[in-house]
Amino acid sequence: MEASISGSSSPTHPKWRKVVYGGMQPGFGDNHTDESFLEEMIMNANVVKRDLLKVVLDAVSISQYLCIVSLVVLVWTYTLTNTLTEKYLLLLNVSLLGSGFFILLLTADMIPFNLLLNYLLKNTFFITALYMLSPIYHTLTRSISSNSIWALTASLLILHLFLHNYSGSTVKAPGALDNPTLTSNISLNASIVASLLISSRLPSRLHVFAIVLFSLQVFLFAPLVTCCVKKRSFKLHICFSLQLLVLTLIFTYQLHKLLFILLLGIFVFVNLVCPYWLIRIQEFKFEINGPWDEAKLCFNITE
Amino acid sequence: MGEPGKHRILMVSDFFYPNFGGVENHIYYLSQCLIKEGHKVVVMTHAYQNRSGVRYMTNGLKVYYVPWKPFLMQNTLPTFFGTLSITRTILIREKISMVHGHQAFSTLCHEALMHARTMGYKVVFTDHSLYGFSDVGSIHMNKVLQFTLADVTQAICVSHTSKENTVLRSGLPPEKVYVIPNAVDTAMFTPAPERLSRDEIVIVVISRLVYRKGTDLLVEVIPEVCRLHPNVRFIVGGDGPKRVRLEEMREKHSLQDRVDMLGAVPHAKVRSVLITGHIFLNSSLTEAFCIAILEAASCGLLTVSTRVGGVPEVLPDDMVVLAAPDPTTMVHAITRAIYMLPQIDPQDMHNRMKKLYSWPDVARRTEIVYNRALKCSNPPLLDRLSRYLTCGTWAGKLFCIVMIVNFLLWRLLQLWQPDKDVEVVPDIQLWKSQHEETPFGYFTIQTQSGIRLHRRKWFRMVLIAPRTIFGGLGTYGMLKWFFLFGAEHQYLCG
Repeated sequence: MEASISGSSSPTHPKWRKVVYGGMQPGFGDNHTDESFLEEMIMNANVVKRDLLKVVLDAVSISQYLCIVSLVVLVWTYTLTNTLTEKYLLLLNVSLLGSGFFILLLTADMIPFNLLLNYLLKNTFFITALYMLSPIYHTLTRSISSNSIWALTASLLILHLFLHNYSGSTVKAPGALDNPTLTSNISLNASIVASLLISSRLPSRLHVFAIVLFSLQVFLFAPLVTCCVKKRSFKLHICFSLQLLVLTLIFTYQLHKLLFILLLGIFVFVNLVCPYWLIRIQEFKFEINGPWDEAKLCFNITE
Repeated sequence: MGEPGKHRILMVSDFFYPNFGGVENHIYYLSQCLIKEGHKVVVMTHAYQNRSGVRYMTNGLKVYYVPWKPFLMQNTLPTFFGTLSITRTILIREKISMVHGHQAFSTLCHEALMHARTMGYKVVFTDHSLYGFSDVGSIHMNKVLQFTLADVTQAICVSHTSKENTVLRSGLPPEKVYVIPNAVDTAMFTPAPERLSRDEIVIVVISRLVYRKGTDLLVEVIPEVCRLHPNVRFIVGGDGPKRVRLEEMREKHSLQDRVDMLGAVPHAKVRSVLITGHIFLNSSLTEAFCIAILEAASCGLLTVSTRVGGVPEVLPDDMVVLAAPDPTTMVHAITRAIYMLPQIDPQDMHNRMKKLYSWPDVARRTEIVYNRALKCSNPPLLDRLSRYLTCGTWAGKLFCIVMIVNFLLWRLLQLWQPDKDVEVVPDIQLWKSQHEETPFGYFTIQTQSGIRLHRRKWFRMVLIAPRTIFGGLGTYGMLKWFFLFGAEHQYLCG
């Protein structure tokens, strides 16, 4: 190809070549900018065209988890106001644990019996330990003033929501290979600390046990369960999320009207405004690639 | 000096001897050639360990090692205004007419260029590296570069790819960016006196063993080549974090007798390693120019390299075999190179390299850039501020504030210590044409009898120097500089 180009131009005017050897090219200054300048630049090579509906549906995972956290806070509030007694709380715990296991069994393909037994055994140990520790949790942060506790809990929950891993689960399903990220671990710990802080404001040890168990169950295993549901069937996931949404909104409406409006606003923002926004700002995406980029290795480096 | 057409140039970069690399080499050789052309060249860099103060190199190349400690990868801490005082003093002392900064990573270079622009000097900038646009580090660097280049008089890049990159990063008009490559000192890199036998083919690799230099690629390529060609041996020079991986590979495939690991090779020994091989292998993942290829070619080695950055522009097609940076193509390329070997005559290759690259040619081309830069008009600060404003919504305003503060500081310094109070250094003609036939002494410091004649003048200068050079550093700085200049004097006279 090169020969044909050089053949067509006159011999007195050699064509400019994109080379740096051989000194200054005759007839062209060092600042010569050829037509081929930036020819190899590729713009927006990796940009994905997003569909509004798909983004909205994907955002449902976020609002679903928002619902779950709101429900936990609602349970806390009802317990603190003594609307919910410890008996009902324990009943709630047991039913949650049972249904969680049930869903896991249904969605995951074939959990071996031994593993299940192992799970049950570990859970029993965990619950016993929690029961024995609940007197400590009851008095652990008692000396801190209530205002500080509310403020801390609120900020920890916000931190938890901010850093939460919405695309997966920090607690892994059996056989998962990848490790959870640092941020998702921080998020999980923030939620646990928040539930421990709340427990010191409760009237009895049984309350403490019930609430901490409830919070841990939800924060640790709810992402795992919803993840499994989502993996099994997307439609089921959407249905489940909608039910949760309605449930949360009803309960919040009963609690406080302003909170209801706030929550509704957040859901609209997360599910409708943000996806639309994302699609809009996609237009401004400006990605440049070219020969100056560092080459990517096409094989995995095993250290 | 002072004749028309002769410049007085200040080269600024964080990277200079005793550090080693492409930029350091470039500055040194360019300065040497410019001195030979009759220009005056002064280098400004930061202090290296106890190497601080003023030093002289071959042919009276004066180097200011500013007592500013490096904090990360040989870079000085960015302080924006901290170097204003010393930059101004050096500019006035040496009657500089042109400031030439090197390398986008160098904070000292950015700062000095900013001060020089504030003081109305013409500024040239050379970019030696490539940068992507995707990661946070690059985005930050690109903003800094945009700031410096917004007001630079002319810019130089080392390859056409580098020019495209720089234009994109800085938004500079392409006609203000020149492409002047690096060169190689062909007198230093000569082929082996006798041709090596081709019974055993030796492939040489000399590079830092880091990710960017493609050491992981080597780990995949070397065993495969050894399997395909039983008469091939590898010599790997260099050190770095990825050395362990290479050694693991060597053990895993039991190639201990076929892969030599030399560890770090000092630059002075590079030639002696190169001439033991037939083929030079470069596996970089990104490279603006790659001087290593030039050195290898000058030693008569056939080069196999990855096709990245500016590498395809560096050598004619028959002197290099290029391959995409993946193991299979690399192995194919090496195989092709092995079959090409009988047609390669090292001496012939060396002679061709002599014609293709020379530092005096680079210096002449740089001189043209200087001449053009001097012809450019020098708009007042207010006009220049508008250029900074276009750099970005927030960054533009920030840049403007920095420039205004710098301008005010400069005026303040002028009030405190007027320009005429800064002692001007007398020029010493160290360089006489007697050395014309010998090529550059390689970073050797030659003391010449010429210095002794000027002893008295020097002594006076040495006494004045601390006061003039560091009006602004306080007693400690003054004392330090006094000792440094004392050392300079001692060094020159003793």
